[in-house]
Amino acid sequence: MFMARADSWVLLSYRLPRDPSTPRITVWRNLKRLGVAQLADALVALPADARTREQLEWIAEQVAGFGGEASIWLARPASLALHGQVVSAMVAARTEEYREVLHEAAEAAGLEERERRRVAARLNAKLRRIKRRDFFPPAERDQAHAAVHALATAADVTPGAGRAPR
Amino acid sequence: MKWATRAGMHVDRAGCAWLIRRFIDAQAQFLFVTDPGQVPAHTTAFDMRGVDLSHHTGTDGAEDCSFETILHRYDLSDPVLWQLARMVHEADLDDERYDVPEARGLDTLIRGLSMVATDEQNLHTTALIFDGLYEYHRRAALLGREPA
Repeated sequence: MFMARADSWVLLSYRLPRDPSTPRITVWRNLKRLGVAQLADALVALPADARTREQLEWIAEQVAGFGGEASIWLARPASLALHGQVVSAMVAARTEEYREVLHEAAEAAGLEERERRRVAARLNAKLRRIKRRDFFPPAERDQAHAAVHALATAADVTPGAGRAPR
Repeated sequence: MKWATRAGMHVDRAGCAWLIRRFIDAQAQFLFVTDPGQVPAHTTAFDMRGVDLSHHTGTDGAEDCSFETILHRYDLSDPVLWQLARMVHEADLDDERYDVPEARGLDTLIRGLSMVATDEQNLHTTALIFDGLYEYHRRAALLGREPA
C-alpha cells in the first residue's frame, strides 16, 4: 500500500496555451479546490498519498485534454527549511479560510435562531470543503468548528423570539 | 474480456468494475496494475490516466468521472444507473455538481475497505454494495419515494 510520508510530495508541472484563457481558469480553479502549494509558475505540490496523487493525475489529464502538457513527479524537498516553507504557505492559506468562517459566524451571532441555523448550515458546508484541502490543520480549525457549532445550538438571544423549552 | 485498472480500489473504479460486470461483460476478468505501462495487449483499461474510459472534461469545464464516461460510451441510458453515476461522481470528484449527500458516506466506506482488504476482495464486496444501491434506487424510482 502506498503510504503518505510527511516529507514526500506529489508535484504537477504543467503548461497550457496562453489562449483561450478558460482552460487556464478551469485548471487553476480545480487546483485551488485541492489546496495545492504553488512552488513556481505552473508548478504545484500536495503531500503525497494515493488520493492526492490521483487527484493531480486527473488534472494532468485535463491539461492534456486542453492541448497542454503536464507531468507528475514524486519528490522530497532537499532541506528541512524548504519543507517548512511550503507547509507554512499551505497553513497560512487554510488559516485565512478558517478566519473567514470565524468572521462570518461572529457576524451572524446576533441573528434570530432560524437565520442563525441557516448560516450555520452554510458555514458547515464551507468547513467541509476546507477540511478536504487542509493537510496541516492550524488552531483556527477547531475555533471555526466551535464557532459554527455554537451558532447552530445557542439559545435565542433576541427578546421574545425564542421558543419556550419543552 | 480482460479489463485493467489501477490498483487501490476507489469509489469510481469499484463502481466501474461493477458496471462492467453487470451491464457490459458478465465474464469480465479484472487486472489491477500500478503503472499504465503494465496493461497487457487486448485488455481494456479504465479509470487510469491516458485511456478513454476515464475522466473527461467537457468544453464547459465540467468533469465526468469514469463511471459517467462508461455510461456514455456504452449507451447505457438506464435512469437508475445515472442516479448511481451522480453518486459516484460526487463521491469521487466532490465538485458539488449534484446534490447527493450519501456520496460522502459511500466514499468513506470504500476508502476504508481499501485499507483493510485486497483489490480482489473489494471487487466482490463493493459489487454487493453497488447491487444494493442499484436495487434501492430501482425501487425508489418505481415507488416515487424512499423504499423501506
